[in-house]
Amino acid sequence: MGLSPANTATETLKFCIFDLRRGQHEGEELDKILFFYPADMPFSAQLSVIGLSEGLITFTRIFSPEAACEVIEAEMHSHVFYEAEPDIWMVLIVEKSKETDAIWRIDALRGILKEVHSLFMMFHGSIRALLDKEPSGGIVRKHLYSFVMDYLDDFLIGKKIQLPNFRNTLKERGTVQMLTVSREAAMEVQSLVRLLESCLGSASCHSLILFQDLLVSTTLSPDDTVNLYTYALLRLSPAFSSGSSTWSYLRKGKATSHTTGAVSMLANAGSGLDQSHGSRDSHPTGDSNHDITRPLQPNKWARGKDGFLVTDIRGSYVNNMVHTTPAIWLQQTEEKMYILAYQHKSLTVILLIPLMFIMDGEQGISMVKQQVLENASAKIFKVEEKLSKGWAGENAYHVSGYRYLLVDGDRSTSRASPPGKVTTLTKESLVAASRLREEVDLEKGRTKWDNPDLEKELEICIRAKNNAWVIARVTRGKELYMVLEKANETLLYASDAVEKFSNKYCNGAFSLE
Amino acid sequence: MSSDDAHSSSSEHDSTDQNPNPSTSIDQSLDAIEGQLTSISLNHRNSPLPEPPIPPPHHGIGDTLPSDAHSQVEEVGAVEKSGSDVEVENSVSRGEGVLWRNSSDVEGEVEGQGSPSSSGYAGGKGTSSSSGVSGSGIEEISGDEVDQGEGGIRSGSFGGSVDSEWVPGKRHVNEDDASVSWRKRKKHFFVLSHSGKPIYSRYGDEHRLAGFSATLQAIISFVENGGDRVKLVRAGKHQVVFLVKGPIYLVCISCTEEPHESLNEQLELLYGQMILILTKSINRCFEKNPKFDMTPLLGGTDAVFSSLIHSYSWNPATFLHAYSCLPLAYPTRQAAGAILQDVAESGVLFAILMCKHKVISLVGAQKASLHPDDMLLLANFVMSSESFRTSESFSPICLPRYNPMAFLYAYVYYLDADTYLMLLTANPDAFYRLKDWRIRIEMVLLKSNVLNEAQRSMLDGGMHVEDLPVDPSPRSGSLSSHLGQPRPPPDSADRCKALLGGPCGLWHFIYRSIYLDQYVSSEFSSPINTPKQQKRLYRAYQKLYTSMHDRELGPHKTQFRRDNNYVLLCWVTQDFELYAAFDPLADKALAIKTCNRVCQWVKDVENEVFLLGASPFSW
Repeated sequence: MGLSPANTATETLKFCIFDLRRGQHEGEELDKILFFYPADMPFSAQLSVIGLSEGLITFTRIFSPEAACEVIEAEMHSHVFYEAEPDIWMVLIVEKSKETDAIWRIDALRGILKEVHSLFMMFHGSIRALLDKEPSGGIVRKHLYSFVMDYLDDFLIGKKIQLPNFRNTLKERGTVQMLTVSREAAMEVQSLVRLLESCLGSASCHSLILFQDLLVSTTLSPDDTVNLYTYALLRLSPAFSSGSSTWSYLRKGKATSHTTGAVSMLANAGSGLDQSHGSRDSHPTGDSNHDITRPLQPNKWARGKDGFLVTDIRGSYVNNMVHTTPAIWLQQTEEKMYILAYQHKSLTVILLIPLMFIMDGEQGISMVKQQVLENASAKIFKVEEKLSKGWAGENAYHVSGYRYLLVDGDRSTSRASPPGKVTTLTKESLVAASRLREEVDLEKGRTKWDNPDLEKELEICIRAKNNAWVIARVTRGKELYMVLEKANETLLYASDAVEKFSNKYCNGAFSLE
Repeated sequence: MSSDDAHSSSSEHDSTDQNPNPSTSIDQSLDAIEGQLTSISLNHRNSPLPEPPIPPPHHGIGDTLPSDAHSQVEEVGAVEKSGSDVEVENSVSRGEGVLWRNSSDVEGEVEGQGSPSSSGYAGGKGTSSSSGVSGSGIEEISGDEVDQGEGGIRSGSFGGSVDSEWVPGKRHVNEDDASVSWRKRKKHFFVLSHSGKPIYSRYGDEHRLAGFSATLQAIISFVENGGDRVKLVRAGKHQVVFLVKGPIYLVCISCTEEPHESLNEQLELLYGQMILILTKSINRCFEKNPKFDMTPLLGGTDAVFSSLIHSYSWNPATFLHAYSCLPLAYPTRQAAGAILQDVAESGVLFAILMCKHKVISLVGAQKASLHPDDMLLLANFVMSSESFRTSESFSPICLPRYNPMAFLYAYVYYLDADTYLMLLTANPDAFYRLKDWRIRIEMVLLKSNVLNEAQRSMLDGGMHVEDLPVDPSPRSGSLSSHLGQPRPPPDSADRCKALLGGPCGLWHFIYRSIYLDQYVSSEFSSPINTPKQQKRLYRAYQKLYTSMHDRELGPHKTQFRRDNNYVLLCWVTQDFELYAAFDPLADKALAIKTCNRVCQWVKDVENEVFLLGASPFSW
């Protein structure tokens, strides 16, 4: 596996990042490009993509100065735009095809761009800051190249990148899925959080606790929680080793390739991407990838003897096996934090400690680890046991007869039918649901521009040609999407089903009265 | 008329008199875009440079044609003059136009005659209306104006009486892409040639938009060179929709909430309207000369296009692809149909009697069927052209869905202020025969009181939601009886009391019969009183229609939609489609019941609201 240059001939996906402030003069256009996939595409072709994108950004600003080009729909391709930072644009170009399931929801694709940028920011800070620091752009190109390629590697199926399509329509990227716990367990978790706080001994430390791939507790802001949660699912989750993962449908098809698990393989450095990187000498970023951090490099985290996860994502330490503790930027406080992860069975505890707080580097880290082990491990064991007992397995959130997605936009959380259940739906139903979501996306977008204060209230029930009911409800920042394939034909029956679901599982948020 | 023509043909003069490099009107950002695209094209071997934004040189076909503004005016006059033998003769035999010849090739009838300068019909379309329209007063009336402050239809119902205050014609001719006001217009329509020459712009003078036009062309051809075809660009509230029809490019830039599918269909209709005036053989002009300038051929047709574009915000026929009939007692419509049938049997292709946008009766020759879109475009063409009202006309037109390559000839005559007769034939020499027929038809219509009935129906309107029978029974199948029937007693609708509008909060409905290609919509009533509310409801229906008719998945069977403004219900069966709007607080179960009652009601009065048993009508 891995992204190799040989793929690019058949590659239907293009992904570029460019800076409109660079390469202003004729002949210097190449300087705009910070990242391009596939990298071995001729420069003229790369420039052609950037040129069209830039042209349309300028063009749309004539009429819409407040929001430039968001998407170009052509007959065969969709070009999805995202202005990640002022004048720094990410553009994703996907090929459409009905035969190959290449039916996309634009906002879902844009979610990928947002996600990779947020994660990049978390580890490297903003692209602009990196460019300001080093105006030639060499370093930021190296970082972006490794980072985005590592990220895309997760979407690799066979030799092709397969982005999430309409089959993932009952799924929301950029949200956190929470574990529902009993009151008793919740109190245990609370006391664990307090205990951890006291171990770390500083108010500016943070913790995030996951059970399997579900969030149990966080002391971070919603945005930082989403970022760290996303990263944990990608690279830290014990799901890697258990093979049973509810996150896997986010990264379609990747579950099996990771069943060996993060936990076992420290010395086994040879992921597919590494190989491809090695062979990429011709790329403008050069071949010296070994002096930069690659936090998304697959299989680089492993569970140490003490229960803490260790990593060699800092390439330079690979050979002598000295592990350093990685650090991340918090979006909200713009603080840099060491990230420590402790894992016990299904429970992952992530601790964030300000760099300022640890004076003596790795030695200080060891002391913190020691503190946690001595004071909190018993509690962690206990919480894990408690949660495991209450855990109903991967179909815990299945509601018989329903296929649903529930999103709470204000809290950035979501809950959905387990992927194994969603796959029972027919393609027609899923495409219809995807279309309906697209329609709701547009409505939400319009409300955002026209009347940002208006609480959008929307209810759409469609009986599709194949007799499935496809339903969307939007109310007070919450969204509910549903597909009912075996429901009765009357509209009232379908509404009643929504009502029941709302009362039972959403505290009546979508109920009419 | 002459003063108007001076106005409408000013574009013509611009192209010759003005500095050919309209750099003053080209915004810097346009330069930038082209720079971005061209600088890239330089690297990209196969992509030709976009056409530089130079106004069309005045040569080629234009030279050989009597396309000069004044000659156009004269020809116009000629065709319009009613009953003047010589002049009608003239209009048919004048000129040696490519276009005309093209069309006659197809028809195989007329040799080497006719006028390519679009003379005949250019006349028909009321060049007069383009004058004095740029006045500020109009701004408030027209459909999609500036971002802030929604203009709109003054009155009128869907498919009903179109607002009489709305004045067709070009707006804001003094604007161009450098004007802030121009950029803020809510809905732009552009037509340009594949070499980037402007053909039509809804706002602003075409020739001052040459640079902008070249930019649109650059975008389209840039994507084309990459082996793809650009359809839609979205930016915030704005959508840019592209439609390529051979050598003609159509673009809509809109920040209305309409689905892009609707905008695309509107471009299709705009193209159809152009074909109705010129036939598709216009393509050959571009084959011969890629830089062919089409604007002279369309000189004076601004009113036709602006009124079509205006109809996109009030006429459901534009998205339903169905036509509506004037409600009439069955015998009355029968009487009209009978006399039209006689004409059709005598070699007329279609005989159509209309009252504004609504059909009174329609008869086609055997096997000939008329597409609702063609009817829409034809009615728009006739109604937006002042000259048809004042005189008997015989004008070449093309029905794009019937045969996009060939001209037919339309004999048009207004029987009264609103009611007009159209007789379509393939025979260019049929004027006198049709005139005779018209006189006979007119006599029959007068005798059978059809025209009076039509006028009365216009005043009375059609179905009112307040009159929805509580218990529709098959016996009560008469619209007039419903119209006269007292409202249901108040206690019968206890549960709906609190709601506005008709029974159970019903505000409005549209019923489309699939077999008949016809629709009927209720009259607007409280609370859909203001033009703004009517337009909003129209747009909601448009969205609902698009959602139901998904290109790949559709049509869906049922849809219920509730938002802050309405409850909307749509029901699609093999026989009909029903669209209904209710108070947003309406009860779902009662709304469904009400929809069933509406369907029954329409079936009860279908004799009066639809044209039944029209000649073979199949697609």
